[in-house]
Amino acid sequence: MAAEHDLKKKAKELLTKGEVKVVIGFGWNRAGTRTTPVFITRPEDTDRLVFNPLCVNNLSLYLTRKFKDIQALGRPAIVAKGCDIKCIAVLISEGQLKREGVYIIGMTCEGVVYRQELWAGMNPCTRIPEDIMPTKCHNCDVRNPHISDVTIGEKSIFTPPEKPAGMVFDRIKEIDRMGAGERWDFWMEHFSRCIKCYACRQVCPLCYCERCITEKNMPQWIETSAHPRGNLSWNLTRAMHLVGRCTFCGECERACPVNIPLNLINQKMTLIVKDAFNHSPGYSTEVHPPMIVFSPEDKEDFIK
Amino acid sequence: MDNIYLPRIVKIEDIYEEAPDVRTYRLVFEDKKHAESFSFRAGQFGLYSAFGCGEATFCIASPPTRKGYIQCTFRKTGRVTSALSELGVGDAMGFRGPYGNHFPVEEWKGKNILFIAGGIGLPPVRSVIWTCLDRREDYGDITVVYGAKKVDDLIYKNELSHWEEREDITLVKTVDPGGETPDWKGKVGFVPIVLEEAAPRPDNCVCVICGPPVMIKFSVKVLEKLGFDGDCVYTTLENKMKCGVGKCGRCNVGDVYICKEGPVYTAKEIKRMYNDF
Amino acid sequence: MNKKLLRRDRIGLLIEGVIKDGVFIAPSISERQVVYGPVKEASEITFDYIIPRNSFKDFLFPQTEPVARFKAEKDAVLLEEVKPRPKETVIFGVRPCDAASRASLRSVFTWDFKDEFYTKREERALVITIACTKGDDACFCATVGISPEGSAGSDILLRETEAGDFTVEKVTGKGGSFIDAHPHVFEDSVSGCALKEIFNPEPIGGVNLEKIKEWLKEKNHYENPLWAELSRKCVGCGACTFVCPTCHCFDIIDEGTYASGERRKNWDACQFEYFTLHASGHNPRDTQYKRWRNRFMCKFNFYPEKFKSIGCVGCGRCVRVCPVRLDITEVMAEISGQPGQGGS
Repeated sequence: MAAEHDLKKKAKELLTKGEVKVVIGFGWNRAGTRTTPVFITRPEDTDRLVFNPLCVNNLSLYLTRKFKDIQALGRPAIVAKGCDIKCIAVLISEGQLKREGVYIIGMTCEGVVYRQELWAGMNPCTRIPEDIMPTKCHNCDVRNPHISDVTIGEKSIFTPPEKPAGMVFDRIKEIDRMGAGERWDFWMEHFSRCIKCYACRQVCPLCYCERCITEKNMPQWIETSAHPRGNLSWNLTRAMHLVGRCTFCGECERACPVNIPLNLINQKMTLIVKDAFNHSPGYSTEVHPPMIVFSPEDKEDFIK
Repeated sequence: MDNIYLPRIVKIEDIYEEAPDVRTYRLVFEDKKHAESFSFRAGQFGLYSAFGCGEATFCIASPPTRKGYIQCTFRKTGRVTSALSELGVGDAMGFRGPYGNHFPVEEWKGKNILFIAGGIGLPPVRSVIWTCLDRREDYGDITVVYGAKKVDDLIYKNELSHWEEREDITLVKTVDPGGETPDWKGKVGFVPIVLEEAAPRPDNCVCVICGPPVMIKFSVKVLEKLGFDGDCVYTTLENKMKCGVGKCGRCNVGDVYICKEGPVYTAKEIKRMYNDF
Repeated sequence: MNKKLLRRDRIGLLIEGVIKDGVFIAPSISERQVVYGPVKEASEITFDYIIPRNSFKDFLFPQTEPVARFKAEKDAVLLEEVKPRPKETVIFGVRPCDAASRASLRSVFTWDFKDEFYTKREERALVITIACTKGDDACFCATVGISPEGSAGSDILLRETEAGDFTVEKVTGKGGSFIDAHPHVFEDSVSGCALKEIFNPEPIGGVNLEKIKEWLKEKNHYENPLWAELSRKCVGCGACTFVCPTCHCFDIIDEGTYASGERRKNWDACQFEYFTLHASGHNPRDTQYKRWRNRFMCKFNFYPEKFKSIGCVGCGRCVRVCPVRLDITEVMAEISGQPGQGGS
């Protein structure tokens, strides 16, 4: 694939010149059936890099402060799709990264395979069927990366629908139609399956707190037990801490071992924030998320 | 059914403020029958509950030769110790134990014993000191080298004075340089340095050492230089614990479970452990 | 005992009998995955699975449970002991790898101090295992010495026939009594039932369990830079730990206040950053590679050496559930390929 070839070439060039010390990208697993994050530090290893619709991980996670071992390697280059770059933009706007501290290799993307087991046996070079693409891809307006140091891949001519469409949005509409009691039951039933593994938090590039609120014990704000009360307080708190920041990369739902539909919460909140503050996270490295700034123009119609 | 996680209720009989943020609690079991049958060996530890907050691990600071009560000494550091510090005389706490192995004091009969401690590392050592003093005729020379950052940080101050007055025990007190007060009569210098100056002899001598890891590291080097064998130097390790009974998988240093196979180890055994400190 | 047969259409009868006083756990589909859970009817059970997402340790060692309750009254604190009274539980459709984890869990929960929260549940559990007729690329039971039709840890072993029924093998006395107690369900079988072929997992290339154990025993290999390299992508969640049948680490916490509350035992994971954090601020395992190294060593060195039990049963759940596909078998292969004693 031409894009993959160009990627390997670029990565080799960056490492040889010493412009970056590590290239964070995707590689095949041993069996060649799944892609997995790789950290290339030597120019001769750049052949391991791949890029195809199985590259679903959001690698911007590895740029965050939690990964001190990776930061110690030196200036990174990152293989990023448009959705991943949105997270990088939010990280920069929140002061977690400096733009010049990372070399963004933007990859054009025609969609990913949300759950890799659905892909079994298909050739990675073929266009993926629309029904195994996640909702975010159907509505993507950054198939051509909006912020990058270099863009690799064939330019995409896809235009997303006017109004967001797809499974996640259909389900949000369904839940919007529910009454408060029904909605409560819906979420309590889902949260009851939570096992407090914190996979959602750990894969989220925006959950970068060195000491998460669940890890604070003076006082213990969030109960760690996986009973309904503890699960509700964790999931709600995380949702609220992501309001106005979440870029709908979908990693949390993909990582959840018990398939809690976290995308529904996060995307619903993004819709609310868009409506209330006319803000969509991830497009600018300069604009701060609305929940951390106050503007006199903010709507106050919710104060009754 | 025997619930191994169920603590016993203990009441606080006495509170002594040893140093800023450091207190010693004297505890008695509420259940009189249990109080009578309770026994432990020097070096063992317990899990002390502040109900509503959780449990914390401290050694049993009193010697097993004194019956009817146990003591624990702790510094207010985190959630549980802060809650324990709020309690007063008469309040209830929980106690689970005794757990762990112990100092093999019976094997030390006839030997000289050198005790080295730093700061808040004195409590487990104190338990052994008093065990030996309560059976004084069983042991040879007893020497204690104890230091803290500053004079105020020394704990068991009243006992230190008592040991100084006794003729059957030698006490060398020290504070870190800069920690002395105008009327300080003890030594000034880090414990390992004071230890080297004192130059204790390794013949027929067993050493018990406990304190901050850096103090232990350098003191053990001095002891090696002085000719002490790794088999004769005993220390007590601490690690984060929750169950105390070898099940929660938290306190291991490599393949060694501190709560079950410790906390007492010889310097030789520690050298053999995986570097999981 | 004569050869027995369990017809698929008789399973409903079995469930009916068990749920009168007990619980029947079986695999069923929930939120697009197969999970073990209580069922009331045979129609809820699915037989089309490789392995459920959760392990059956959920029923012997629940994610959260109270161990004591306390209440302050006047000058005293009243402590109430929590006594679990588990119902008779039949766990149906277990896979041989899962069943093999039972010995590992039992060895740690009965080490000197008996954890009755576990042992009472285990005593009341009856494990009916179905031998594997299919698997996927994440299965590696054979690599760790477990057979896809192994009976270790089971009370009854079923093997699927071409007709979709099951031949019944009594493994333990408890299993035998259960079979005898349900004669209308476990019929005498006629000879000549063609069995479905048992899944034959491909041995993972390059993995040598003995070599791994030898390499791990060398103390200086503990500091090998390979650990950091192999675990660099680990994000530090607890997904692998929580789905693993042999992982059992837990936390003991208090909920409530001094006035009234509960002490609970909850699952915990050595992969979490603050698992080993001391109140003083010192953390012996302060970087992810140290935590990952602990997990691997625990499974392939500490547990086999300490308890002579298996730390890893090769079920592959950790591989399937890892968000970054950190594959334990790839680490096993890398370590197997390292130079031996005295090497780097």
